[in-house]
Amino acid sequence: MIFREVEDRDLVVKSRHGSVEAYNLLVSRWEKRVFNYLLRLVRDREDALDLTQETFLKGYQNLAKLDDASRFGPWLFRIAHNEAFSMLRRKRPEASGETEPEMDGRTYRMYPIELTLAVESALARLSDDQREAVVLKVYQGFKFDEMAEILSCPVSTVKSRLYAALDLLKDTLAPLQERSVE
Amino acid sequence: MSCVPDKVKDYFFGEVSEGDRAALRAHLKECPACGEEFERLRLTQAALRTLPDEEPPRRTAFVSDKVFEPSWWQRLWQSGPRLGFASAGMLSVAIVIHAAWMPKAAPAPVAADQAAIERRVAAEVAARLEPAIKAAVAEAEVRQERKTAETVEAMRKQFEFQQQADRLAVQDAMRQVERKLLVATRLAYNAEGAR
Repeated sequence: MIFREVEDRDLVVKSRHGSVEAYNLLVSRWEKRVFNYLLRLVRDREDALDLTQETFLKGYQNLAKLDDASRFGPWLFRIAHNEAFSMLRRKRPEASGETEPEMDGRTYRMYPIELTLAVESALARLSDDQREAVVLKVYQGFKFDEMAEILSCPVSTVKSRLYAALDLLKDTLAPLQERSVE
Repeated sequence: MSCVPDKVKDYFFGEVSEGDRAALRAHLKECPACGEEFERLRLTQAALRTLPDEEPPRRTAFVSDKVFEPSWWQRLWQSGPRLGFASAGMLSVAIVIHAAWMPKAAPAPVAADQAAIERRVAAEVAARLEPAIKAAVAEAEVRQERKTAETVEAMRKQFEFQQQADRLAVQDAMRQVERKLLVATRLAYNAEGAR
């Protein structure tokens, strides 16, 4: 993990000096994580892909503004977060952070497994903020302070969103997971 | 330790201090409700993680484009070593300018240098002057010889011309004399015949 951070920092420095190759290496390292974060947030592959590309483009254009090169990951996810919520507001201007998103049959039939469908359905019932907190913690493995940096809010807010989401999810998913184990 | 659900969640995600970790571990063994909460969190996370990561349908890659590349001054500003070189360069320029504007405060070494220069110039002149004079004299002699030869040749041609002219004049005079003698002879013969 330490080596990875050092290498990312070196690549950021090279990219700042105009090395497109170094930045492409950073893209290849983070692309899948950013794409899946955005996919679970906006729940549309094409939108997630467009947002991924936009995230990396803005990242390259704003590399000079990154104060600590070793914090490239959280900084990149902050850009991705801004891009995603900008799109969500454009597509659903009436939606606030606390409203539940509607089901979308096209994107929810991505996986045939019953449990996977149940997980997608349960995630979809969360608010955007709650779902994002779950994605950042459970799928991306960020620490609370990193999530606070990405979401630009206090750690207490991060924990509040995450734990409220988990309280909703565990009522649905824990029994299913228990049955699937049996 | 009393039951604090959020603390159980913190412990589940490994975000508690070392001291809290030991206390919570002990509490979970003693408290069935918190133990059940911890187990439900584990099952929920396991269920969430059945959702597989997807590969991006298309890979993102950038090509070099002048529009998006940082300008030369941005690169310089962001480069510590380069900025160091730039600083060293500016310092060098400042030293040179300062040296150029400094008053000449040490004339003695300059005078010494001037004398040395004059000696060197004199030696150089001496070394070059004699060959130059010899060359000039030789050139003048050659030029004089050529002029003398040309003069002699002209006089010779003048003499020959005059000689030829004199010879022609003598010949002409001789012919005149011969003609007068012939006329006189004929006149004398005619007079003798008439007598």
